[in-house]
Parts: sequence; structure tokens; C-alpha cells
Amino acid sequence: MIILKQLVLVVVGLGGGLAVGSGLVAFVTVLDIIPRLTQLTNSRPYIKAYEWALISGALFFTVIDFFDWSWHLSRYLMLPLGLGAGIFVGLLAAGLTEVLNVFPILAKRLNIDGHLLVLLMAMVLGKVCGSMLQWLFRL
Amino acid sequence: MTEPLYLRLRKRLSVKPGAVITIGDICQLYIDGRQEKRIASLPIYRVKPEDGDMIIIDIMQVIEKLRTVFPELALEIQGAAQIIVEVDRPRKTPNLFLVACAWIVLFIGSGLAIMNFHTDVSMPEVHQRLYQLITGEQNRQPLLLQVPYSLGIGLGMVLFFNHLFRKRINEEPSPLEVELFLYQQNLDQYYLHHENKENQKIKP
Repeated sequence: MIILKQLVLVVVGLGGGLAVGSGLVAFVTVLDIIPRLTQLTNSRPYIKAYEWALISGALFFTVIDFFDWSWHLSRYLMLPLGLGAGIFVGLLAAGLTEVLNVFPILAKRLNIDGHLLVLLMAMVLGKVCGSMLQWLFRL
Repeated sequence: MTEPLYLRLRKRLSVKPGAVITIGDICQLYIDGRQEKRIASLPIYRVKPEDGDMIIIDIMQVIEKLRTVFPELALEIQGAAQIIVEVDRPRKTPNLFLVACAWIVLFIGSGLAIMNFHTDVSMPEVHQRLYQLITGEQNRQPLLLQVPYSLGIGLGMVLFFNHLFRKRINEEPSPLEVELFLYQQNLDQYYLHHENKENQKIKP
């Protein structure tokens, strides 16, 4: 009976993991983050490596989180880690097509087709300030 | 004239108000290398003040014109059936007040959106957990992680849209440029469908 229960747990866990994992990959794919990074770094031959980076990253952090695998490393390691996490979230936020769709319309209405960068900077600075405020004042 | 006249409408044309549009302005032509100039200079339309910003010229108008002038000519038509002619009026200058309003709305809105996102996914808890996993210390406010994280968000967005590396590395357009292009294309399609009088015949 116990073995059966555990078997069910294993199946449920595996199923849940499959769903979440494919969901994560689907999400990142839909937002075109990897193609954009490849385009910026001109590294099309390395797409396979990027896929593995995504997979191993997800797996690694899941493992250290679930098994409470605490490392006693320098706290200054948090600086590059935070920066990396932030860049990723920034790419996510920028990749949301709803954001992209707003700009052409707004630019036409305001007759500023040539100065989209100004509006873009509003968005970028807004995100940075909102995030900073939240952390500094623990909102 | 045994050779057929090959003609193909261009995609877009922009003209000054009051200009006369000739066949050569809106079509690429080929017949035998000698008579194109004469055909190209045929006027087909004069821009009137009441025309608005967009004029659509249908291939049928071109055929009609060519038929009346050269009844013998065989026509061989390629490509699109209409062309959009943009009338270049003096551009309205952007209203700085409106631009400022839009800027502030975008600034506040995107800040709020990222804060909502962080709350939605329990980002503070995740940061505390990550800090604890890496350093082995508890910290209610792991600013060492969170400040570079916040800067990273900005950097990531700039990277996504940016033009910094693009010029140096390759010629591909940025996602925003692609989006602008698609939007313009959709608008053009709309104009072609709705502004073209030939499309809107109602049977009495």
C-alpha cells in the first residue's frame, strides 16, 4: 500500500514537473528571448548551448531550493547574480508583445515617429525606479 | 506595336500637395527599351487639396489611361493591384505637453507593472531564499541582490530593444522596428480595403 502511495506520488511529481518545465520553456520561447540574445551576440551556432543553459539553470536552482542545499559563499556573489536575474526579467518585460504593440500607435498619435527612444526610456526608467523603490522601502 | 508593355505598380509613393502623378511615378515599365519614356510621362492624376493624406490608385485607372492613349498596346501586368500615394503635408510638430503626459504615464505605469509582477510571483521571498542559499545567512532585505537586480531589469530591456551592438555586429532590425513595420503594413492594408472606391461598389 505504501509502495503504491509512493508510486502515485512519483507519478504526480513527474507529471507536475513536466508541465511546469514545458511551461517555462514555452514562455521563454514565445517571448523570443533566446533568438534576440543570439541576434545580439551573433552566435547562431550556439543555440543548443543556450537551450542547455536554460535547462540546467532551472534544474540546478530547483535542486538547491528543494534540498535546502545551502552554500556558504561570499555575499558579494549576489551582485553578479542579481544583475543576471535582473537582465533576464528585463528581457521578459521587454519581450511582452503587448508592450511592443503600444509604441507604434502612441508614436503615430503624438506625431513623434522619430523619437520612439524617448518613450522607450520612460518605460525602462519606470521599471528600474519601481523596482528600486519596492526593495529600498520594502513595499 | 507587337511587343507587350510590361508594367508593375510600385509599393508606395510620396508626393507634394498639388503634384501631378505620372504613370512613370507609380509604375515600373518595360516595352522595348525606347518607348518607355514617352509612356512614363503620361499624367494620370493630379493631387487635389480635398484628397487627404492618402490616395489610392488602382491598376484599372492605369489600364484605362493607357487604353485611351494607346488603344493598340498589349498590356502585361505584374504584381499588386493598387498603390498607396502618400501626400506629404508639412508635418505637425509634436505637442510637447502631450508627449510629457505620455512619458509620465508610461513611466508610472511600467513601474507599477513591475511592482505588481514582483508581488504576484512573491519576488521578495524568492530573493531572501536565494540569498540564504548562496551565503548561508538570513537577510530580510538582501539589497546586495536586489539593487543589481533592479539595474539589470533596465539593462535587459535596453538590450532587447537596443541599437548599441546592432550597427557593429549585424544589420538585422530590432523587434521594435519590426513591430513598427508590421503596424504600417496593417494600416496600408486597411487603407487599400476601405479607401479604394473601386472596392466599394454597391449594386443599386
